[in-house]
Amino acid sequence: MVYFHESVCISPQKSFPDMDLSEVRESENNLLDVIEPNYPGIPAGAKRRMGKSVRMAVGAALPLLEKYPLPDGIIIATANGGMEDCIKFLNQILEYKEGLLTPANFVQSTSNAAAGQIAMVTKNHQYNTTHVHRGLAFENALMDVVMLIEENKDAGYLLGSTDEISPYNYNIDRLAGWYANEYIANRNLYHSKAKGTIAGEGTFMVWVNGEAQGASARLVAIKTLHGEDVSSLQETLKRFLSENISSGQMPDILITGENGDERQQPYFDAVESTMDARVTVARFKHLSGEYCTASSFALWLSIQIIQSGTLPAVLIKKRGSSNASRQILIYNNYRGLQHSFMLVSAP
Amino acid sequence: METAELKLQVKQQIIKFLNLTTVKPEDIKDDEPLFGEGLGLDSIDSIELIVLLSREYGINIQDPKEGRKILTDINTMVAYIEKNRTK
Amino acid sequence: MGLISAIGDSMEQNRLALQQERSGIGDIQYYQTAYAGRLPSAEVKISTERLNKKIFGTPLASITRTSLLALYAVEEAIQDSHLSKQELISAETALVGATTVGGMCLTDELYHDALAKENGTSYLMSYDYASISLAIQERYGIGGEISTINTACSSSANAILYGARLIRHGFAKRAIVGGAESLAKFTINGFNALNILSSQPCAPFDRDRKGLNLGEGAAFLVLEREEDCRDKRKYAYLSGFGNRNDAYHPSSNSPDGEGPYLSMKAALENSGLAAEEISYINAHGTGTENNDETESRAMLRLFDQTPAFSSTKSFTGHTLGAAGAIEAVYSIMNIFHQEVYPSLSFRHPIPETGLIPVLHFAKQEIRHVMSNSFGFGGNCSTLIFFKNIVHGLFS
Repeated sequence: MVYFHESVCISPQKSFPDMDLSEVRESENNLLDVIEPNYPGIPAGAKRRMGKSVRMAVGAALPLLEKYPLPDGIIIATANGGMEDCIKFLNQILEYKEGLLTPANFVQSTSNAAAGQIAMVTKNHQYNTTHVHRGLAFENALMDVVMLIEENKDAGYLLGSTDEISPYNYNIDRLAGWYANEYIANRNLYHSKAKGTIAGEGTFMVWVNGEAQGASARLVAIKTLHGEDVSSLQETLKRFLSENISSGQMPDILITGENGDERQQPYFDAVESTMDARVTVARFKHLSGEYCTASSFALWLSIQIIQSGTLPAVLIKKRGSSNASRQILIYNNYRGLQHSFMLVSAP
Repeated sequence: METAELKLQVKQQIIKFLNLTTVKPEDIKDDEPLFGEGLGLDSIDSIELIVLLSREYGINIQDPKEGRKILTDINTMVAYIEKNRTK
Repeated sequence: MGLISAIGDSMEQNRLALQQERSGIGDIQYYQTAYAGRLPSAEVKISTERLNKKIFGTPLASITRTSLLALYAVEEAIQDSHLSKQELISAETALVGATTVGGMCLTDELYHDALAKENGTSYLMSYDYASISLAIQERYGIGGEISTINTACSSSANAILYGARLIRHGFAKRAIVGGAESLAKFTINGFNALNILSSQPCAPFDRDRKGLNLGEGAAFLVLEREEDCRDKRKYAYLSGFGNRNDAYHPSSNSPDGEGPYLSMKAALENSGLAAEEISYINAHGTGTENNDETESRAMLRLFDQTPAFSSTKSFTGHTLGAAGAIEAVYSIMNIFHQEVYPSLSFRHPIPETGLIPVLHFAKQEIRHVMSNSFGFGGNCSTLIFFKNIVHGLFS
């Protein structure tokens, strides 16, 4: 069994050090950037070279590793790594015509810089990997941890995600049509009827092991799927539910990655319609914005909801008859191609 | 340019180039080692400083080992710049 | 298995070049960089346009060279292992890809798209790392778990061990695993800025080595449980793997090679082998001052008697995200054909460590082969392949 213990989330909302969703921070220019703390834990020598995604990841990981200093592995998900460093380095290549260049941006731009820096700062020699599979990078990292715990039941792991929105990847995805051309405020995200959504970023770090004691939540199951066919998505969901929930039962809450992009709505509708009247439907992208590892923000929310027993009103789309918040199904889809289900319950 | 003035300028350039946000020019002593102890710079920084010398002073250092000698501290750096600068 | 590299566009061609000691390192012909003629590289000798046409007939507008190289190698691997269409689209077939440059091989296009107000290029969806796995997924309709890993130069070694674990845990029945990399302004300038590119063909483990040469290519392997491939050709067993971190510096190894040592040790433990059972090591051996010395130290720490070893990067250059997979295929060829491939350009041992790699192609009895891949961020991985059928893939 896979249990989530303490977690840290740095997001566009008030999530660090504690969650406070009583006021929703508004998006500007179709993007939600994170509220960065000043990371007193990161050594100044290391911090000065870190780009935002690495800084967020290390800054979120260190407080957890103070409590759990010896992870048996560091497993990080990031689809884009240090995008800003990457473009800064490209800029140098062009500005100095492939002449004498400084290497720091190049070294920091590699996707595994976050996992590597966490290992370096904490002198951790254990299993260390970085999953980068676009909209399923976090799910794959979680799968990795599920297998690791199966392989070593007494072990504990640092699992995390980090993705930054730089002006550059924002622009590339905007040109590709993934961010709306017209202005959308995040409070109106689900009513925009736009092609495209708003951008976001964030980092999530959680301590995961096979130990129920002291845990905040348990991972019941995870399933990923590639494809654009709505009916096979629905079939996969039905099979997923029948394999993991006793027959006739439903999760208490469904949290979806609905993002206001009308092209992706059929998938969310299909999943929602598979639920019955007991299930409360919630959504989160108006808080986090869209990014490749946004499903990790939903997992962080789920852990908070299960732990506190309350579902923040700002998340609710449709209230079901179940008032419980013991079992949560997270469904996310990235650009209509990469789908994931994560079923999380009270420990 | 007076040596003292050049030292200050070099310190400011180092801070900017290496993004030493918590360091002020007066924190860098002229005879304090830049690498290891002192500022705690590493091998990537030494390459960055060689690029700094090239871009700001037109000094091209081919051999990184030679570079490390020049970059011992502010005194050695400034002495080398005064002698070899082309801009 | 399937692979394409600077020394050939098939397993057979690669083997021939390794036997004939023919390196693929030379002047840059196809990709655009100011370093053409100055920094030798190991290019795959086919233009992107021709490769595109060869694979798709009508060239695809949105696909990058990295993905094309991946598709090329995957096709050979699928043919070679006779995977049917049914098997490919099955939910039990996983795909794990790896790359470090991904679609950023298109440096100029990426820069344009990052800043342009309008009129993006046709590559807007192709710059990320996942685009490589997704191109394969799309072409073959792979139905199972799909992932992409980037741990710098150990990426595809980690893709291989991740795929093996997916099978072990029942998340897949078979896994197509590997990596792809193409030469790019981005990487050549990055490594050059770190002063670790050699202006000569690289000389791994040589006293006077001057650095590495970048290379490009792709390799993919099909992994299956022993009981699922009874009547199929089995090249070798993946008997163990290790993944450890050096935790020392963002871009170089610790002086004693702690990460490399721990990674090799973990792989030995995972395979249940004693150090002296290793017949041969396909070393990481990039030809940089730092890697070769620290890897040598790690080997000396682990082995009482260092086994035969060499670096095939003296043929293929350092293919970064593809290196682990290309060298895994070579390691398996060592076992399947009972032969060793040399390190080229070696003259004098490193005085501090004194290790001498295999210098010429030879037929030799090989049972257990170790393959090392170490990368930026301290990421170190080691794979061990095995010949006999005594204990299987997941004993």
